[in-house]
Amino acid sequence: MQILKKTNLKAFEKAKKLGPEGVISLIKEKGLAGRGGAGFPTGTKWEMVRNAEADERYVICNADEGEPGTFKDRMIIEKNPETLIEGILIASYAVGAKKAFIYLRGEYTCLKSKLNKKIKEVLSKAKSDLKIEIFVGAGAYVCGEETAILASIEGKRGHPKVRPPYPTTYGLFGKPTVINNVETLTNVPLAVMFDDWNKDTRLHCISGDVEKPGVYEAPLGEKLSQAIERAKPKGKPKAVYFGCFGGCMPYEKFRDLELRPEKVCEGECMLGSCTMIVVSEKRSIVDVATNIAKFYEFESCGKCTPCREGTMRVLAMLQNISVGDAKPEDIDTLQELAEVIKETSFCGLGQTATSHLINALKFFRKDFEDRIKK
Amino acid sequence: MEDKEAYPDCLGLLPKLEKEQAKKGWISEQALKRISKETGIPISRVYGVATFYAHLHTEKQGKYIIEICNSPSCYLNSSLNLIKFIEKELKIKSGQTTKNGKFSIHICSCIGCCDKAPAMMINKKVYGNLTEEKVKKILKKCR
Repeated sequence: MQILKKTNLKAFEKAKKLGPEGVISLIKEKGLAGRGGAGFPTGTKWEMVRNAEADERYVICNADEGEPGTFKDRMIIEKNPETLIEGILIASYAVGAKKAFIYLRGEYTCLKSKLNKKIKEVLSKAKSDLKIEIFVGAGAYVCGEETAILASIEGKRGHPKVRPPYPTTYGLFGKPTVINNVETLTNVPLAVMFDDWNKDTRLHCISGDVEKPGVYEAPLGEKLSQAIERAKPKGKPKAVYFGCFGGCMPYEKFRDLELRPEKVCEGECMLGSCTMIVVSEKRSIVDVATNIAKFYEFESCGKCTPCREGTMRVLAMLQNISVGDAKPEDIDTLQELAEVIKETSFCGLGQTATSHLINALKFFRKDFEDRIKK
Repeated sequence: MEDKEAYPDCLGLLPKLEKEQAKKGWISEQALKRISKETGIPISRVYGVATFYAHLHTEKQGKYIIEICNSPSCYLNSSLNLIKFIEKELKIKSGQTTKNGKFSIHICSCIGCCDKAPAMMINKKVYGNLTEEKVKKILKKCR
C-alpha cells in the first residue's frame, strides 16, 4: 500500500531544503487534495494560512473519523504514525506554525499513548521544537466539521460556526489554522519524497454485508463492482451506501459506475472519503434508513432547527413506516421533510443527514410502499 | 466571535471534564461546581459542555461502561441481537446501570471498527467480531 510507505524524516529534510514556499508549490504541483471528503487542494489551503497576517498559526490534524463505515484513519494511526507525524511537521514548517494539535476522536482513546510515544520519538529525531498535542474528543460526530473542532479545542460545545471567516484566516483562538485529515497529512511526506507518488490513489473502507471488510487501496476511476467484489459480498448486493452522509445507490444499476467524485454524483451520491457500506438483497432499505435516521437524530448538535427537529421527525416517521403504521401519503411528506432539512440546515451534518433517505425514496420506493401495504 | 471574548479561558475545559470522567466514571454536580470554581467558567457553560459530549456522563455510571455500536456496519452484522443479549445478561435496558453499580449499557454511534463488526467498547477498550459466546466471556471477566 502506498499509504503505508515510510519516509523516515527524509521528506522533512527535503522540505527544509526547499523552503516553506518551495514545499507549498511542490504540494500544489503534485496535486494533493484533502481526503476528508471535500477534496480541497492542500497546497492552496497552506498558502492561504501562510499568507494570512498573524503572529501565530496552528496546524490541526483531524483524526475525528466519525463517519459510519470509515476506519482508514484508524489504520493509518495504527500502522504508519511516523509518516503522519512527519506530515504534520512539514505542514507546520510550510505555514510557520509552532504548535499543532491532533484532534483524536474519543472512540480512539486507546491509540493515544502509542501515538504520544511516536510523537516524542519523531520530534526528537527531527530535532524540531514543534509542539504536537493530542486533543481527545469525547464522542460527537459533528466535531469532524472543521469549525466544530475549533470550538471543541477551545473548550466549548462542538457547534459549527458560520464560514466565512474560514479557519485559514480566523481559526483556532482566532489565528490562521490549517485543518487537514489524517490521510491527507500522511500523504504529504509521500508526495514530497517519491516521484512515483500517485495522487489518484484512494483508500476504500468497505464493510456491511461482506465477507472481507477492510481498507483497500485502489485508483480513482475503478468500477464500483471491482471495489465491492474485492470485499466478497455476502449474497447479492442490493445497495451501496457511501457512509451515512453520501447517500445510497442501487448496486446493479450502477455496478459499472466509475468511482470518481464527479461520476458518483450522477448516481446522486457523494463519494466523500470512499466509504462503502454494502447492503445485501435480503434487507429492506426501510430498516437501514431507520437505522441511519437514528444516528442523525442522536448526533445532531442541536444548533439549528431544521436539523435538530427535522432529524427527530424523520426518525419518528420512518419508525411508523417500519412497523406498518403509516399512510401512503406519509411517504410524500417524508420526502418533502427530507428535502427541507437538506436545503435549510446550517452545516454539512444537516445538509447531508437526509441524502440517504432522498436516494432511498428515489431508488427503493417500493420497499417503503410494501411496508405501508402490510 | 462574541463567545470567545466573553469567555476567553474555556481552553482546557474539555480535558478537565474528561479527566474527571475517567477518574470517577461520571461527573457529579459537585464536580461540575468545583471545575467551574477552579476555572472561573460559569457553571451553566461547564454543564453545557459536559452534556454535549456522549462520552461525558452527568449521571452515576457503573464501573464498566459498555458502549455497543449500532451504526450501519454493525447493524448489518446483527448488533441489535447483541444489544438484546447483553441487556438480558445484565438484566437492564440500554441507558441503565445495574443495581450493584457494576455495569452501564449505552447504544453508541460508529466507533470506527466496521471491519470488526459487531463491536463494542468497555471503558474505551474495543472488542470486535463479537458473538454471544465472546460477550459472555468478556462480561464474566468483568464480574
